[in-house]
Amino acid sequence: MKNRFSVALALTLVVILSSSAIPLKLKGQGGAPARPARTPDGRPNLNGIWQAMSTAHWDLEDHSPAAGPLYQMGAVGATPGGQGVVEGGAIPYKPEALAKKKINFASRLSLDPEVKCYMPGIPRATYMPFPFQIVQSPNMILMAYEFASSDRVINMGKRVEAAVDTWMGTANGKWEGDTLVVDNTGFNDQTWFDRAGNFHSDQLRVVERFTLMGPDHIQYEATIEDPQTFTRPWKISMPLYRRVEKNVQLTDFKCVEFAEELLYGHLRKDPSK
Amino acid sequence: MSRLFLASVLAIAIAIAAAPLATSPVLGQAARTYTAPKTAWGHPDLQGWYSNLSENGTPLERPDQFAGRKLEDITGAELQAIKKAAQDRTIASFAGPLHAPEDWWQKDLNMVKGSQAWLVIDPTDGKIPPLTEAALARNAARAEARRANPRGPADSWEDRSLYDRCITRGLPGSMMPAIYGNSYQIVQSPDYVAIRYEMIHETRLIPLDGRPHVSSKVRTHMGDARGRWEGDTLVVETTNFREGEAYRGSNGATLRVIERFTRVGPTTVKWQVTLDDPSTWARPWTFAMPLTMDDTQPVLEYSCHEGNLGLRNILSAARAEEKAAQEAAKAGR
Repeated sequence: MKNRFSVALALTLVVILSSSAIPLKLKGQGGAPARPARTPDGRPNLNGIWQAMSTAHWDLEDHSPAAGPLYQMGAVGATPGGQGVVEGGAIPYKPEALAKKKINFASRLSLDPEVKCYMPGIPRATYMPFPFQIVQSPNMILMAYEFASSDRVINMGKRVEAAVDTWMGTANGKWEGDTLVVDNTGFNDQTWFDRAGNFHSDQLRVVERFTLMGPDHIQYEATIEDPQTFTRPWKISMPLYRRVEKNVQLTDFKCVEFAEELLYGHLRKDPSK
Repeated sequence: MSRLFLASVLAIAIAIAAAPLATSPVLGQAARTYTAPKTAWGHPDLQGWYSNLSENGTPLERPDQFAGRKLEDITGAELQAIKKAAQDRTIASFAGPLHAPEDWWQKDLNMVKGSQAWLVIDPTDGKIPPLTEAALARNAARAEARRANPRGPADSWEDRSLYDRCITRGLPGSMMPAIYGNSYQIVQSPDYVAIRYEMIHETRLIPLDGRPHVSSKVRTHMGDARGRWEGDTLVVETTNFREGEAYRGSNGATLRVIERFTRVGPTTVKWQVTLDDPSTWARPWTFAMPLTMDDTQPVLEYSCHEGNLGLRNILSAARAEEKAAQEAAKAGR
């Protein structure tokens, strides 16, 4: 009897110990098959489809619920309130940059690049209300975003410098322990951080950290540096959730055709003439 | 001494004789001896950057001048002469007062390296099989609709191609060579193969887990792709295309595009594409071309829509011409 008790105790201990670190297999939810917690080269396995659940894409900072810019959209176009994702609460704008942010917000229907289906840039692509997929290989990690067929490949080899400034930037990654750290540079000044008009210049540098917290969660952090726009570097963080539905996949959201009337409508031939 | 000399002449002669075989990987000669390297998880490793710029200008179907001849028989000097002529034609077609600076694309354009006189490999006559009755009826209905409601070339953006509008070149169009932007990248994981296309910018995410296609109600420009490994060949079957824009006027609901990617040499992947749509063609048909690994041609970000001044200018120029014509008519009255 005593013997059996100690066997059970030992078994329990083994179970507890083996689940404390990243286990060998991560059991999927929602009917998804179990997936290995590590890739064949021993890294945390970030492969999968992920999505943020915060209200960061409306406003990175704390914000109250508010009406949207188009009354015709009613409640559908309104902004849900939410707790911000900025460490310390406020984005440290320089005074002139804060003034520009306010103009951006007031004119967001005509100025927000999302409205025009432009590539969202980093970090905005990560927390838009669309999923994104990670395809992880030892020397390169692809992040493909549903919005606007945008994507980027994180170079895990020898550092490369940006050939030209781009919408999605140039990404160099490395592993710091079990955290994927991505250094993004080479951005243009065309993208925003959210629908509230938060913005940056072409001096932007974004250092992201992806840490697998369990089978279905990544802790995401991004440190944003832009001495032309901000008084100091600042940080956002939020969890990313695995899309666990069976056979879930990205469905191309090629939004160009949804923005053409807006962008080119004034150039359509007038049938009355 | 002379024997050694003879031997080296012989060796060179053999090398020259064998060269056409080695440079025609698309026809399969090299596939028999080469084994692709494997990823850490045991799949053939296709990862890297590719270009097929040098296949630009190759006609899809067999030109009539080659009637009765086999694709694999047109090699060497004969093939090079055809390619050189195509290169000269391409460069000449961009001559004139309005064109991009020549050093933007001409120095990289080397069609003489192109490997084939045409692309269709099945049927062996190099011709796309005849259209079915259903396809002829569909084409006639589309032509009738255009006649009933005539439109100018730029009445609206909808009169321009999906390519002009920076939406998509579709499938297999996204991997058909053009004079620039012919870089592709393949990234693999145990469960997915991703293919990136520079032109316009596309990312195809191809699951390998055997899942069924999505519902036929879900239609997308690039379709719904499913992949599997057949030996060392990646087979990708794509369906669920949109109506009215499927390849060569085919039926988006029934078209199946079956691609085969096989690494046949250290820097060559054979890309073979079978088009199967019983409501469009009398039988399935296949074309093929090599994709060449090239580390000097990485996929760069092509913010096509973001910088699409071309479309805006085409539309505004059309409106300006209409206005000028109206004013001229008024003045002449």
